[in-house]
Amino acid sequence: MPEFPAVWTASFLSDFLADQLIPALNRGLWVTLALIFPSATLGMLLGIVIGSFRTFGPKPIRKLADGYAVIIRGTPLVIQLFILYFGLPNLGIYFEPYTAAVIGFTLCSSAYHSEYIRGGLMSIKRGQMLAAQALGFSRIKALVWIIIPQAVRRALPGCGNELVYLIKYSSLAYIVTCIELTGEGKVIASRTFRFTEVFLVVGLYYLALVTVASYGLHTLEQKLYIPGFGRGDR
Amino acid sequence: MESLIAVWEAFPYLLQGAVVTIIAVVGAMGLGLLIGVPMAVGQVYGNRPVRFLVGLYVWFFRGIPVLVLLFLFYFGLFSLMGLNLNALAAATLVLGLTSAAYQSQIFRGSIQSLSQGQLKAAKALGMSDFMGIRTIILPQALRLSIPGWSNEYSIILKDSALAFVLGTSEIMARTHFVASRTYQHLPLYITAGILYFILTWAGMRALRGLERKTRIPGYSHG
Amino acid sequence: MKKTLCFMLTLVLSLVFCGISAAETEYINGIDANFPPFAYVDKSGKPSGFDVDSADWIAEKMGFKVKHQPVDWDGIIPNLIAKKIDFIASGMSITPERAEKVDFTIPYWTIKQVFVAKKGADVTVDDILTGNKTLGVQQGTSEADWLKENAEKNDWNFKLRYYNSAPLAVEDVLNGRIDAAAMDDAPAEDAVQKKPVKILGTFGMKEERFGYAVRKEDTDLLRTLNKGLEMLMADPYWDELIAKYNLKEK
Repeated sequence: MPEFPAVWTASFLSDFLADQLIPALNRGLWVTLALIFPSATLGMLLGIVIGSFRTFGPKPIRKLADGYAVIIRGTPLVIQLFILYFGLPNLGIYFEPYTAAVIGFTLCSSAYHSEYIRGGLMSIKRGQMLAAQALGFSRIKALVWIIIPQAVRRALPGCGNELVYLIKYSSLAYIVTCIELTGEGKVIASRTFRFTEVFLVVGLYYLALVTVASYGLHTLEQKLYIPGFGRGDR
Repeated sequence: MESLIAVWEAFPYLLQGAVVTIIAVVGAMGLGLLIGVPMAVGQVYGNRPVRFLVGLYVWFFRGIPVLVLLFLFYFGLFSLMGLNLNALAAATLVLGLTSAAYQSQIFRGSIQSLSQGQLKAAKALGMSDFMGIRTIILPQALRLSIPGWSNEYSIILKDSALAFVLGTSEIMARTHFVASRTYQHLPLYITAGILYFILTWAGMRALRGLERKTRIPGYSHG
Repeated sequence: MKKTLCFMLTLVLSLVFCGISAAETEYINGIDANFPPFAYVDKSGKPSGFDVDSADWIAEKMGFKVKHQPVDWDGIIPNLIAKKIDFIASGMSITPERAEKVDFTIPYWTIKQVFVAKKGADVTVDDILTGNKTLGVQQGTSEADWLKENAEKNDWNFKLRYYNSAPLAVEDVLNGRIDAAAMDDAPAEDAVQKKPVKILGTFGMKEERFGYAVRKEDTDLLRTLNKGLEMLMADPYWDELIAKYNLKEK
């Protein structure tokens, strides 16, 4: 049998959980948060840009952006991180572990975001662009001030899902030596052989993060909701 | 040049890894289907406790990273349950349990998009609930689920790469082994990426074929 | 259509789960396949290396079958305890912490831990320890634990970075991201032969000895392996193996 205390005694709780595990995991939690926030923001912005390119860009740019999305969505994130971290130095490009992880997460989630944004953009009637141009907006301005704000609202549920994915996949950062929540857990688990306890607690941390994020996104969706601008209009 | 030789020599070995990957993915998809369909039915037609339990399951498996679940189950829970699974079986099982949570939500969406009058009509014709769901609702709902399902395939395929942390000798683990011996990390990982890309593409195509094959002429939804 | 689908599913699932039961006389040796020259996979994808060949020889002489199963190093002892593998012949250092969990055979090899740096890099072991450098180690190794503990005691100020395998740490030495990697001398020699890196020297960690690990309750297997190791080390084949894998006896 693996190490699993028959009774989780008070001393076990204080010695192992309070003194060892929780401080380490809290340290890891900060790293995880420091990974998620920039990656989520940059990923969303880049996703909007790429999604717009894929919908309204001139043909070569459209093809390029499509190709980008297809390649990123067709390969595992862990391979992308390996190439980014261990591979790019062959070309003279060096990233620190944290930077490599943030770049990897940003690129990956931007590809997925672009998919939802594209769907949102296509759901906005073509006539709106023409109307905006008739009112004297340039194409870019119409896109930024009229089309995208609506499209983002439509894309929000999908993008919210993507954010939840990002929280979970931030656990891959330890593979490129950026020790975050999962990495801290793994270090302790392999030293103490308490895999069950450690990863149950790590799991709870993620559940909390994901639950809070989902709740926040739901609230945001409600906040941004425009009465009458529902899911119809297709 | 040295790197091309390394890739060339490793290629058959990596291809065998692709077979392991496919076994894990197909197994996980199948398991997810077997558990996911009853869960979806339970969530739509079940009573409160059933709905609560399914909701709890989905919350748990969708809220924890696959990597953490792999560690938790393989080294922890499976052993506690007395299940002595090898790495491939354990990874397949964990991926399957996770996928069940996602698949149940795909099926739930499809079931809910069908008009609720259908089940009433079936009952009026003398069918039991079970029979109505099995013969009327599910055949339609499963068809509608294929696009969501092909998306799920691509996710599981990519998640299966994480099984390397258990030592499952699928594509990713094998790439790491060969890279350790030859020190040709970049070309080998690019090759692995291409293999995954081909598998994603081929699987999506096959599922699109399935969608076309099972389509009922004249039946449009929505 | 439905039937074939069901059939295929059953087939695949049973394929996946059939590996659970193994024949009685077969033992599974868990290896870190990222640890050349002691254990790795060769060009044809077969497990090989000094420890793999040794275990094969012992199995043949002692009359059991052996299968070599690559396992993530970090979880190799939990794997052993959870009976996913039966013993570990894969360059495992005998340490008191590990000996609390598992039993070790007689030691069969002595290794030193060394620092590996880029060829031409102008650093010494002392620079690495006290010069604000970054140092890579493989997660779950004795050197990782030792460096972490002793850094606090000795006021060393390097930053530790954890890798999944020693070769990945060497890769990052080459990339210039870390100043040195700490690892066993034999895999370090292997890296020197393949890449422009050099061995800086030992860094104060006591010599360690490799042994095979078994579960505490498997006393029969321990006896068998001990006897096999004694026979092997007395046999000319031992020197052949040492030559084959380019190891230097110290």
